[in-house]
Amino acid sequence: MSEEHNPEQGNRILEVSLGATTAEGGTRERVYTVGGAGTFPFLGAGPAAGHPPRIALEICDDTRTWSPIVLREVGDLAGDTGAWAAAAETTFGADMVRLFFTSTRQRGFDDFASLGTTMEEVIGATKYPLIVEGSTEPGIDSEVYRRIGEAAEGERILLGTAEADRYRSVAASALAYGHALVAQTPIDINLAKQLNILLHETGLPPERIVIDPYTGTLGYGFEYSYSVMERIRSVALQGDADLARPMISSAIDSLNVKEVREADPETADEVAIRWEFYAAFSALVAGAEIVCVRHPGTVALLREALPALQEGSHPQEEAYGDESA
Amino acid sequence: MTPIDESLISGRERLDEEMAALEGSIGYDETAYALPVTYAVTGMAVHDAGSAREAYAASGSSVLVAGECLAAAGYAAGGEEGEPYTGFVPDTVLRRLGYSLVDGSIAGIGLVAGSPDDADAAAAICREMQEKYLLTFLAGGVIQTLTEAGVKVGLEYRLVPLGSTGMAAIHFADIIARVAMMFGGVQPGDADRLLNYAAERAKAFVIAFPGLEDEEIAVIDGLRVLSIPILTPEGYEGGEWIRVPYLDAVREGMERRGIRVNVVAIPIPMACSPAFEGKSIRKEEMYVEFGGAKAPAFELLRVRPADEVEDGRVEVIGPEVGDLEEGSAVPLAILVDVAGASMKKDYEPVLERRIHTFLNYGEGSWHVAQRDLVWVRLTKDVVRRGVAIADLGRLLASKFRMEFPDLIDAVQVTLVTDRERVEAMLEEARAIYDERDERIAGMKDEDVGTYYSCTLCQTFAPNHVCIITPERPALCGAITWLDAKIAYEIAPAGANQPVEKGELIDPVLGQFEGVNRFVKKASHGAVDRVSLYGMMDEPMTCCGCFECIATILPEVNGIMIVNRDYLGDTPLGMTFSTLAGTIGGGAQTPGFVGISKGYILSDRFLQAENGIERVVWMPSLLKDELKGRLEEKLERMSIPELFDKIADETVAVSIEDLAEFLARVDHPALAMRPLI
Amino acid sequence: MAMKALDIYKLLPKTNCKKCGFPTCLAFAMKLASGKVDVDLCPDLDEQTRELLGGATRPPIRLVGIGAGERSFAVGEEFVLYRHERTFYHQPGLMMQVADTWPGERIERIMTRVRDETFHRVGEDLSVDGIAFRCESGDADQFGGVVGMVEACASLPEVVIADDPEAQAAALAHCGNFQPLIHAACADTVEAMCDLARKYGCALAVRAGDLEELKRLVGLCRDRGIENLMLDPAPATLRDFLVRSVEIRRRAVERTDPDLGYPVVFDTVPIDLPDAATALGILKYAGVIIIDELAPSSTMAALTLRQNIYTDPQKPIQVTPGLYPVNAPTGSAPVLMTVNFSLTYFTLLGYLEAAGIPCYLFIVDTEGMSVLTAVAGGKLTETVVADAIKKTDLENRVDHRILIIPGYAAPLSGKIEEETGWEVRVGPRDAAEIGEYLETGWEA
Ligand code: SF4
Ligand code: SF4
Ligand code: SF4
Repeated sequence: MSEEHNPEQGNRILEVSLGATTAEGGTRERVYTVGGAGTFPFLGAGPAAGHPPRIALEICDDTRTWSPIVLREVGDLAGDTGAWAAAAETTFGADMVRLFFTSTRQRGFDDFASLGTTMEEVIGATKYPLIVEGSTEPGIDSEVYRRIGEAAEGERILLGTAEADRYRSVAASALAYGHALVAQTPIDINLAKQLNILLHETGLPPERIVIDPYTGTLGYGFEYSYSVMERIRSVALQGDADLARPMISSAIDSLNVKEVREADPETADEVAIRWEFYAAFSALVAGAEIVCVRHPGTVALLREALPALQEGSHPQEEAYGDESA
Repeated sequence: MTPIDESLISGRERLDEEMAALEGSIGYDETAYALPVTYAVTGMAVHDAGSAREAYAASGSSVLVAGECLAAAGYAAGGEEGEPYTGFVPDTVLRRLGYSLVDGSIAGIGLVAGSPDDADAAAAICREMQEKYLLTFLAGGVIQTLTEAGVKVGLEYRLVPLGSTGMAAIHFADIIARVAMMFGGVQPGDADRLLNYAAERAKAFVIAFPGLEDEEIAVIDGLRVLSIPILTPEGYEGGEWIRVPYLDAVREGMERRGIRVNVVAIPIPMACSPAFEGKSIRKEEMYVEFGGAKAPAFELLRVRPADEVEDGRVEVIGPEVGDLEEGSAVPLAILVDVAGASMKKDYEPVLERRIHTFLNYGEGSWHVAQRDLVWVRLTKDVVRRGVAIADLGRLLASKFRMEFPDLIDAVQVTLVTDRERVEAMLEEARAIYDERDERIAGMKDEDVGTYYSCTLCQTFAPNHVCIITPERPALCGAITWLDAKIAYEIAPAGANQPVEKGELIDPVLGQFEGVNRFVKKASHGAVDRVSLYGMMDEPMTCCGCFECIATILPEVNGIMIVNRDYLGDTPLGMTFSTLAGTIGGGAQTPGFVGISKGYILSDRFLQAENGIERVVWMPSLLKDELKGRLEEKLERMSIPELFDKIADETVAVSIEDLAEFLARVDHPALAMRPLI
Repeated sequence: MAMKALDIYKLLPKTNCKKCGFPTCLAFAMKLASGKVDVDLCPDLDEQTRELLGGATRPPIRLVGIGAGERSFAVGEEFVLYRHERTFYHQPGLMMQVADTWPGERIERIMTRVRDETFHRVGEDLSVDGIAFRCESGDADQFGGVVGMVEACASLPEVVIADDPEAQAAALAHCGNFQPLIHAACADTVEAMCDLARKYGCALAVRAGDLEELKRLVGLCRDRGIENLMLDPAPATLRDFLVRSVEIRRRAVERTDPDLGYPVVFDTVPIDLPDAATALGILKYAGVIIIDELAPSSTMAALTLRQNIYTDPQKPIQVTPGLYPVNAPTGSAPVLMTVNFSLTYFTLLGYLEAAGIPCYLFIVDTEGMSVLTAVAGGKLTETVVADAIKKTDLENRVDHRILIIPGYAAPLSGKIEEETGWEVRVGPRDAAEIGEYLETGWEA
């Protein structure tokens, strides 16, 4: 049986490296490379298979808007961002932490000094590459991204999120402090290209950009996102270099939907995990290289499923394996 | 007057001598880039006099390298100046500075050097630079002049006092060198990349006041290799320095390096947001109105040379709102003059249309129609709050700058309310409108080498590509060739891209090699070839938002056109919406094509199928809409009788009735070569 | 390869006789080209043309029906590899398994769940589709007994999983007349299984881990006159399924391998990753997915995913227009107007519920378009709003006359005010800001 379907031999997704070891000026114990595939996900063999996808657990510095289900599950960790981050790697088995500075999203936020402190704390508590999300308010972007970028200087974090009308501060921080960035364009392939061009103009090299096509929640527009991811991957494999970038996917509203919010407390965790899992798993199948979830239980479920999708006799090892020091 | 050329010679000599006399160790603290300029240019990390001379030689005796080695030697010898001077700027501060430059919170950097005779002039320049979001570095006597005049200096004021002499200008260069290495990926020793980087990205200029020593002049002049223009209001002659009056110095510097400021706030006592766009102002709410049918009014946007447009200037000629009685109707001319290095006359109509949108953004302002049909109102409410006619001008000036930051460098607005003047200018304006119309109407496909694409609809129809030519507007009817061209020039990364038409493959079908190549790529390989002027062979794809569909009716050897608004049945046996459902989605369907209404009137209209003469049916609604223009066209073609031979639903809805009708009127399509 | 309408038209009789039900041959040709009708509708074609057109226009994957009665379903008739290329038409059936070795109560519990458990989303009732009986005892009588027991209390679509034709026969004796899927014939049993399929007229799955072998089995079945077939590529891992199913679909839709033009069955049970396998089956072309007893949290997510993936990407899902009370509003509560694009509705609803502010969500009919497209496309106009106010009797439902419209509908505010006489306030563009807007900006 022909095990492989490779429509356009040769075109590959660009590789992006995240994290920096001590030798590279950071403090990470691992560096991840994502991307590199030359086929649709999990169909390729050998080098065309690309690097394994990564699973991130999302945490935050201000839990007021975070899902109560997750907060219940993580207990005291929620009050200690550093410990929460450490647990994500050790206890929960995530490949990486995605830290949301939700504090910046409160109205009138001005405690900029706390950002640097928290950032340093999380860096100290973790060993793997990090994803960090800053503000969503143009008025404070400049200050927020400078603080975060500066505090994480040299760690080559994946910094989010640049959008077409709000990319300068994120890009500046990535450039100034040596990070990679997430470029988000809500479900539109042309906008995704446009943002790439704008970022290029800032001087940020393409090997430092991960694209986020925006992921709708399961049952609430997820199908758009699924198809956009498939389209991006398909166009990329046909040779469109602008879109041949690794993708990150996070259905961030998953735990806010009615089905989850109103679930019977007895089964709420199960419902939350499934709601996240089906979207994240589908995103992997559609081409996402990094998937992000919030419930630790979802990480475990994804962890279990990934090896069975991957090639080779020891898929387990590959899924956990790191590629550098 | 100091002659630059002579100063350069003696300045260089002095630098040579000092380099030869250099002794001991050399270096800055707090940087990972050794002596940054020297490091960037030569790749050598200088640490003592010997290595400094080596690097100086390797650089081909660069004055900047010399200046830097000498300055760093001073540091190493403990000759650092104290407060208020900053001297060499450490890496950490610089990283922040670079951040702000990319981030846009600093628009650019400037160096002011020398010792101005006129403290007010220096202060005015610095104030202007602060206002324009520039970070200003100061070197030499100017610092003392400013402090004595009461101007506060320091990083927090965006006025950075580098050092007491002009030699501190070298730190301006080391900043640029480090930004290039930190942000621009310039490798130490790759002097070419450094110069390229500076040429493309360094948003920097120098303003030189009198009183610089020869070697200082040499170092500052050396900055020119980094594409930094040196402007001087007074005191120097010759050389490559640019003489400007001090009032124009900042503007000139910004323009030369393409530095633009992002306008963020609109300085008027009225809220301004898209949320107010649809608010209408009823008569009872209105304080004053302009135009409508009640008084003459028009609007005109023109591109002007930069020196004729004073940015932000707003003038009202004639009575202001305070002079007007409540409820009155007044004449108005809205004259918007814009300037910009890449502005073109072609953009005028497109930008002019934005006046409508912008004025409607105002909480208490309202605008309808365009050109000499405009009608504007202001509410009592905002007039009570102090809004004047001039504020409409301010609103426009700010909005144009905000929305087109890369295109427009300056906007000035004149609002004329004086009846006589408005009436006098109206004629002139009308002549301009006519001229514009003619220019567009007369444009032929063969006159241009570039068509434009539109891929906006790929959101829904993933492989759809519109090719827009002067004679074939987009199928949605919303975008003409000129619109697409301008859209591209305004937003080069947008959905409209230029398409070099390339070699002509078939003049009748309208197939071009370049167009085909483009379509293949933009359709992600789904479409190989496209005929611009035909519907039978490889027609353009349809996305779904076409204004009309043209399909063949093989039974009568003709073409039928049906527009979106027509809900009834057609002789093909399908309604518009079922037809649309079968041919949309970005596929090529021979025999069927989505078109705009405008294209029906074009000389290129489906010429491969004999064009308009092949049309046998269209809904009466569409026929009426096109009547005047279509009759005119048929008149020109000397077939005026065709108009009545085109059937509509009142004479035939079924193919049988249509065939009968066509035979009765002897429609020319019946005698044409068979379509199939 | 698929044919274009015009090429088809050239082969039709061109008499416009209307016997096919279409007013012209060209209209028929267009429908044919899009695979929406069968060529047999035109009675005036010679055999050769009929075959040619049939081969070019019939769906590349055969439509196979499973079950009888209300909950029966059909799978197949798909045209594309990716849903963005057109759409996926026939969603897979989820069949929950019971083994004949299980205690009666367990079997009954599953049967009852499959029969009764539904949940409601976006105007649809979602439920698991049927039961898969698995013969684990190796005993034909025992197997038949279990099938008979379930058959007595539920009429559900069924899959009969047994490699032994005798066990199949015993089960089919109870359920064969209700169009179950026979799963599965292999090289040794193909003859006997075909006999059963013929006897009961039901669909038959063939099973092999190798595509060439699958094709051979298909050929054998067709030789025996069995056309209602499904393919089980016998995956041992998720990746096996993915790779094989993609290859089958690709060759089928490219019409390069007509022997693979049948829907796929995915037996997820041996893989032991129930959620992942179910999701993968939904995403990657399974027609029937045999699942273990998944908890309701899993079936709910799986069915939602299925609903998402099988949504027509070119047709937005709609919500019924009307007035929806949120958080128990009273007559003085704010009225928030928006469109009946389901995504808009649900997003907004989510934020309103989270904000806990009592209000009315006032949904007007824009044919399922989002605010932005509805405004641009003229689907949201002042008349639409005025009509909706009348239809919902809004004037008597609230004691004020203030309407909050979406930020993107701002251009219509004046016209709506004029047309309806209501005072219009322009709300935020982004649904996420609605809570804050209502807290700070709203007072009646
Ligand atoms: S139909 Fe109009 S908007 Fe759509 S792609 Fe063509 S030109 Fe662009
Ligand atoms: S057809 Fe109209 S609605 Fe559809 S994609 Fe094109 S522009 Fe948008
Ligand atoms: S039945 Fe056949 S011949 Fe008659 S109209 Fe239909 S396609 Fe044409």
